Amino acid sequence: MDCKEFEEDLTLDLYGDLPPEQRAAYEAHLAGCVHCQAAREEVRGLHEVLAQRPRLEPSPDFLAECRQALVEALDRERLGWPGLIREWLSFLQLPPQLVAPRLAFALSLIVFGFGVGWMLRPRAARVVPSEPVNVTASSLAGADIENMHISDISRVAPDPKTGDVRITLDAQRRVTLEGSLDDPHIQQLLVYAMKSYDNAGIRRDTLDALRARSKSPNVRAALLYTLQHDSNVGNRLAALDAVRGMEGGDDLQQSLIEVLEHDGNMGVRVESVDVLVDRVEKEGRDEAVLSALGRLATSDANRYVRLKCVSALRKLGNDGF
Amino acid sequence: MELAGHIPEERRQLSGADESALIRRAQEGDPEAFEALVRMYDQNVLRLALQVVRSQEEARDLYQEAFLKVYRSLRYFRLESRFSTWLYRVVMNVCLDYLRRQNTRKEVQAPESGDGQPEYFQTVPEARPVLDPERAAHASEIGRRIQAALQRLNPRERLVFELKHYQGLKLRAIGQLCKTSEQTVKNCLFRATQKLRLELGDLV
Repeated sequence: MDCKEFEEDLTLDLYGDLPPEQRAAYEAHLAGCVHCQAAREEVRGLHEVLAQRPRLEPSPDFLAECRQALVEALDRERLGWPGLIREWLSFLQLPPQLVAPRLAFALSLIVFGFGVGWMLRPRAARVVPSEPVNVTASSLAGADIENMHISDISRVAPDPKTGDVRITLDAQRRVTLEGSLDDPHIQQLLVYAMKSYDNAGIRRDTLDALRARSKSPNVRAALLYTLQHDSNVGNRLAALDAVRGMEGGDDLQQSLIEVLEHDGNMGVRVESVDVLVDRVEKEGRDEAVLSALGRLATSDANRYVRLKCVSALRKLGNDGF
Repeated sequence: MELAGHIPEERRQLSGADESALIRRAQEGDPEAFEALVRMYDQNVLRLALQVVRSQEEARDLYQEAFLKVYRSLRYFRLESRFSTWLYRVVMNVCLDYLRRQNTRKEVQAPESGDGQPEYFQTVPEARPVLDPERAAHASEIGRRIQAALQRLNPRERLVFELKHYQGLKLRAIGQLCKTSEQTVKNCLFRATQKLRLELGDLV
């Protein structure tokens, strides 16, 4: 008989769900088929592996929190907006006969306030995007960039072949700035973008463009700044990757320890352990790193980070762990 | 529909008549009756949601979404069928919708909480003895592999597998929850097992 006919039975058998009328034929086939016996053992092994996935049990506190959130959601559902307004008014203990005139007065005040605000609004000059002006970085003086009043950076495009970069930005008008990544004006602008710009994607493009220029003190400082302060987890991880190839130094070591001890993201902390271990292996024993790993091995809020620190300490030959 | 002993039941059992009375009161708009119904089943609902999504934040959202749906459609529930089956069907649909959204977003990494901490690691029971940290790290890695493999199943396979393998429901009960035949559930379970064999074969 074809083994395919019994493949499904193998699965059902291990769950105790094989119908009695199918069992005799299944067992007879299994007794004489090495292939199906091996498959059965494989599925049994799979069940053993799957048993290692922890069962998550909601804690009483979590259940209570969910119940409370549901009660509030049900209240909103029952009352709707009119009901919520009624509740709010009853909270303010206003007698019903005063509600309408007071509400009308409050609304007229709001309308009046908006009207005055609109009349007095500052009328800033609008920068109308126009065809970008192409500027080469070498033609600019440092003061030109400082006086540009940049309002938006829309593109950072490095060219890996030439080592140049094109930066499209809005200042008094739209400008495309082009020049070598080694040009101090370009670096100045990119460091500004990486540290101060509010678009995480642009900060990432900038980081990718600058990471190969970490020998420049300004770029190095900006990479370490991103590593510690960028609000985007992906950017902090990219900065961690970028500093792997950087020359050692106290500033780098302190930044990495700072990240290990204080970064709010567990993935970043885990990655920082790897980078620190690489550096110690490359540059030799470092008490500050070992001490930080030792502290985190017992005190980090996340179990996996604690285990990672223990594993790192063992790798670095610290037999106390 | 008879699913007694198959679909998870609440410890605080009520007789059928008591439960029917509670449902009628809830259908008439009695908030306390609805809350009592919620409390009869919500621990199991939350457990299933947590098992599927592995994130407290998202489990709380699924829990709330499921019970709000139950609240909105309770007036259409007819007392001829079993309330628990009807309720878990709603929960199943909410979970299926969640898994479909996950598949669309192609998210395979561990879900993160608000502060960026993957809750998968936070919710691993701490009570288990950790004598050898490297072994524990290995177990944690296996846990991640299993989770990733489960996330690659299609939503229906994933849910059928969760209900059968981790919740221990009978095939017939799963069929009733999914509004499908027992044979379809068997096929689904078989496909899920085959996919997991391929994904996790090196760990066996």
